[in-house]
Amino acid sequence: MGKVMHKRSKPLQVNPFKLSQPMGATLAFLGVDGCMPLMHGGQGCTSFTKVFFTRHFCEPIAIQTSAVTDAIAVLDGGDYSIVESVKNITKKVAPSLIGLHTTGLPETKGDDVRGVAAQIEYPLVYVNTPDYEGGFESGWALTCTALIEQLTEPAESIDDNKLVLLPHVSLTPIEVEKIKEFIEGFGFNVLALPDLSTSLDGHLGEKQAALSSGGITVEEIRTFADAGLVISVGDSMQSCATALQKKNPEMRHQHFSHLQGLEATDALAELLLTETGFSGPPLTVARWRQRLQDAMLDSHFSLGQSRFLVAAEPDQLAGLCQALYDAGGKVTVAISTVDSPQLEKIKADQVLVGDLEDAEQLADNYDVIVSNCHCEALAHRLHKGLVLRGFPNWEQVGNPLKNDLLYEGGAYFLFESANAATVMRDAGRGTRTPENHCF
Amino acid sequence: MANKPKIKELLDESSCAHNQTRKVACNAPTPGATTGGCAFEGAQISLFPYADAAHLVHGPMTCLGSSWETRATGTSFAGRDLTQMGFTTDININDVVFSGEEKVAASIDYIMAHYAPEAIFVYATCVTAMIGDDLDLLCNQAAERHGVPMVPVHAPGFVGSKNLGSRLGGEAALAHLIGTKEPETTTAFDINLIGEYNVTGDMWQYTPLLEELGIRVLATLSGDGRVAQIRTAHRARLNVLVCAKSLVSLTRKLEERYGIPSIALSFYGKRDTSKGLLAIAEALGDAGLIERTRALITREEAKLSEKLKPYQAFFKSKKAVLNTGGNKTWSIAAALQDLGIEVVGTAVKKATEDDRAKARETLGDKGVLMMNPGVEQAKIIDETGADLLLAGGRSLYTAIKKGIAFADVNQEKKKSYGGYAGLLNLAEDLKNALQNPVFKNVARRAPWEK
Repeated sequence: MGKVMHKRSKPLQVNPFKLSQPMGATLAFLGVDGCMPLMHGGQGCTSFTKVFFTRHFCEPIAIQTSAVTDAIAVLDGGDYSIVESVKNITKKVAPSLIGLHTTGLPETKGDDVRGVAAQIEYPLVYVNTPDYEGGFESGWALTCTALIEQLTEPAESIDDNKLVLLPHVSLTPIEVEKIKEFIEGFGFNVLALPDLSTSLDGHLGEKQAALSSGGITVEEIRTFADAGLVISVGDSMQSCATALQKKNPEMRHQHFSHLQGLEATDALAELLLTETGFSGPPLTVARWRQRLQDAMLDSHFSLGQSRFLVAAEPDQLAGLCQALYDAGGKVTVAISTVDSPQLEKIKADQVLVGDLEDAEQLADNYDVIVSNCHCEALAHRLHKGLVLRGFPNWEQVGNPLKNDLLYEGGAYFLFESANAATVMRDAGRGTRTPENHCF
Repeated sequence: MANKPKIKELLDESSCAHNQTRKVACNAPTPGATTGGCAFEGAQISLFPYADAAHLVHGPMTCLGSSWETRATGTSFAGRDLTQMGFTTDININDVVFSGEEKVAASIDYIMAHYAPEAIFVYATCVTAMIGDDLDLLCNQAAERHGVPMVPVHAPGFVGSKNLGSRLGGEAALAHLIGTKEPETTTAFDINLIGEYNVTGDMWQYTPLLEELGIRVLATLSGDGRVAQIRTAHRARLNVLVCAKSLVSLTRKLEERYGIPSIALSFYGKRDTSKGLLAIAEALGDAGLIERTRALITREEAKLSEKLKPYQAFFKSKKAVLNTGGNKTWSIAAALQDLGIEVVGTAVKKATEDDRAKARETLGDKGVLMMNPGVEQAKIIDETGADLLLAGGRSLYTAIKKGIAFADVNQEKKKSYGGYAGLLNLAEDLKNALQNPVFKNVARRAPWEK
C-alpha cells in the first residue's frame, strides 16, 4: 500500500524490539503439556529468556540450559552437554518431552544436534534456532514444524470433525482460546499447536514451573494427521501447515494472514459455514459481529483523526494495522522486527523493518503508539498516546488476557485505541471534552 | 590480548574467605541443572548505569534484545539517559562467517555521530568471542578516531556466572578508565562507591547524608555514574564496597595500585545503615567527622523511629518466614527485625558460608536456617504460626494454602528499600501485604468443589 523497506538501513540496532529465534522456540515448547524446554547454549540465554517471560506472563516459566562454557564449547560437539542435561533434568522431573533448541553459540561451532538427539533415548524434539538468524516468529514456527515432523505419525484417513489450529507467536493465551471456541461453536474438535491458552494463563498450584503445565499433549501431536482441516494463522505458520499436510495428503489447509477485523473474521466464519453446511453461526457469534460493527462506528470519530505508529512482529503487525484501518485509523508508520511476506500487504503509509530509534525519528508522523513497553519512555517523552501490545509488556498485568481477535476482541481493541487517542488529545489541550459521537 | 583479564585469577580471589580454605573455586555450571545469569549479564549490570556512556553489545539478538531497559537504575544525568537505551550489532550469519568487525566499527561511528557519549563500552558475547572479532584493536582504533575512551568488555556469557561477569566489568573499568584523568579538586573525604548500582534509587537514600557530613562521592561503579568521575577514581581516600562481593577483586587491586583502603558494608535496614555510615567515617579517620556522624545517626534514627511507630504497633508479634538467597538471607531479615517483625526462619540453601554465618547471627539461636526451603517453609509456618511469607513467586501457593500473607522478594522493585527512608517503603509494602484479604479470598473453594 505505502512505501515498504525490507532491510534496516544502519549497521546496528538502537533500542531494538526484535526478539531472538531461540526465545520463540522456548515459548512454542511451553505450549506443549509437561514439556521441558532445553536451550542449548550459554546459561545466560536461558536466564534472560526465563526472566523475560516470567515478567511478561506473571507465570512461572519452566526452562533449562545446557550451560555451555568456554572450555566445553571448544571440546564438545554437544554430545556431552546435551546428554548430560537430559540426564540431570530427568533425575528431578519426568517431562513428557524435552524441547531441545539451539542458540548462536553451538550453531557457530557446528554442533550436530540431530546426531546427538538420535543417541538420546528420552522423548525429545530438536530444532536449530541460532539467534543470528530469523527472529521470534521464525523460532516459534520452526519449533512447530519440528514438533510435527518429529512426532506426528503419518495417516491416511481423515476425521472431518477434527481441526488443527496453528497460531502465530504473538497470539495471547486468551486469543488462542477464543479462536478455538469460535471454531468449536461450529461443531469441530479443535487442537491448537502450540496451545498457550491452557499453559501460560491462570495457573495456581504447587510445584509450579517444574514443567510446563497445560498445553497440547504429546499424544495429541502424535495423532494429529487424521485431522480433516488445518488452519494456519499468520504467514509465519504456512510452512508448518505444509509439514502437517505431508503427514496426510488428504488433509486440507486454509490460511489466514491474521484474524483481526470484520473482513478476516467474516472469512473464517464463511469457511466454517461452508465446511459444516450450517446456515448460520452460533447466536453469540452473530451478536458479537453486531457489536464490532457498532464499535467501529463508535470509535471512528476518534480513530479517524488519529495517526498511528504500530510496531510489532510481522503477523501481529498486519492484524493490528488492518483493524485500525477498517475504522479509519491512519497508520502512518508500521515497523516490523524482521522481513516477512506480510509487509507488502500491510495497510500503512510507510512500512519498514527497523527499531525503536526509527520510531523516534519518525515521531512527527504519529499521535498514538501501538507497541510493547519499550515504547513507554518514548510515548512519555514525546507525549504520544500508548496502547501496549506485543512482547514484552512488563508495565502492565493481565497480558495473557488481552484479546484483539475476531469480532469480540476487535471491538475491545478499537475502543481501547480510540480512548487512548482521546486521552492523548485531551492531555494536549489541557481539558477534557467529550468528542465521541455515539451512534 | 594483553588487555584481557585472566579469568583464572579472578576466580581465585585471595580476598574471598572461601579461597583461603579451598584452592579451587567450584565454578562449572551443571548442564540441565543451572539457574542464574551469565558473565555478560554480570558485566552489563556492573557497567550499565553510566548514563553518559553508550553500551554496544556485539552479538546476536538474545543478549541485548531480552535485557535492555530491565533495570531501574536511576540517574541524575541531565542529558539523554543512555542507560535506558540499547545498542547492538545484532549480527547475522554473514557476520558469523566473514567477521562482524566492520559492523562494530561502523556502529561505534554511528553512535558517536548521533549520541556523542563520553565513552562506549563494547561487549563481547559468546558468538563474537568465538569467531574471534578483535574488540581490543577495534576499540583502540575507534578511541583514536573519536578521542573518547572505548572500553572493550571481555565477558562473553560462556566464561561463567553473573558474579564473574561483574568482576570482568570491574576489570574493564580498571584497565581503561580508572586513572586516566585527574580530578579538578580533591578533599580529605573523597570516597568511591563500588558495587552500588542505584537500582530504584537505593543510593540516593543515603548519599544526601554523606554530603551533609562533608563526605564527597568522587566516583561510583557505577550507580548514577559518569565516565569522567570513574576516570578520576584513583584519587579517592576510601573505597566503599556496597553489598557486592563480586567487585572485591577491584577494590583489592585499587589498594595495591593506588593505596586506597576499602571497607565492605550494606545500607539495608536501620542498623546496617547506621553501622555503614559510622564505618565510613571511622575509615576516613577524622575525629570531628566521626563525631558529626554519630550525631547524625542519632538524629536520623530518632526521626525514623518516630515515623515507624505506627508500623511497629501494627507489626507487633507478627512473624515472618524468609525464602531468598545470597546476602538477602540476612539483610532482609535484619530489616524486618528493625520493623519489629520476628523472623522465625530464613532459607540459606543459596547462600555462601559467610552469608549463613551472618544469617545465624541475625536470627539468633531460635531462628531456623532452612537448607531445603521448598519443603521446610510450610512446616515452619505451621509450627510457628507465621503471618507472612517473603519468597519468590513459586512459593505463592504455599502462602495461599496456609492462608497467610505473601510478599514477592524477587519482584522487580519499583521503589527503594535502602537506607533509613527505604525502611518506611518496606514497612508500607509489608503492611499492605498483611492487610490484604486476597490471600484468603483466593483460596475459596468453588461451589462445584465443595
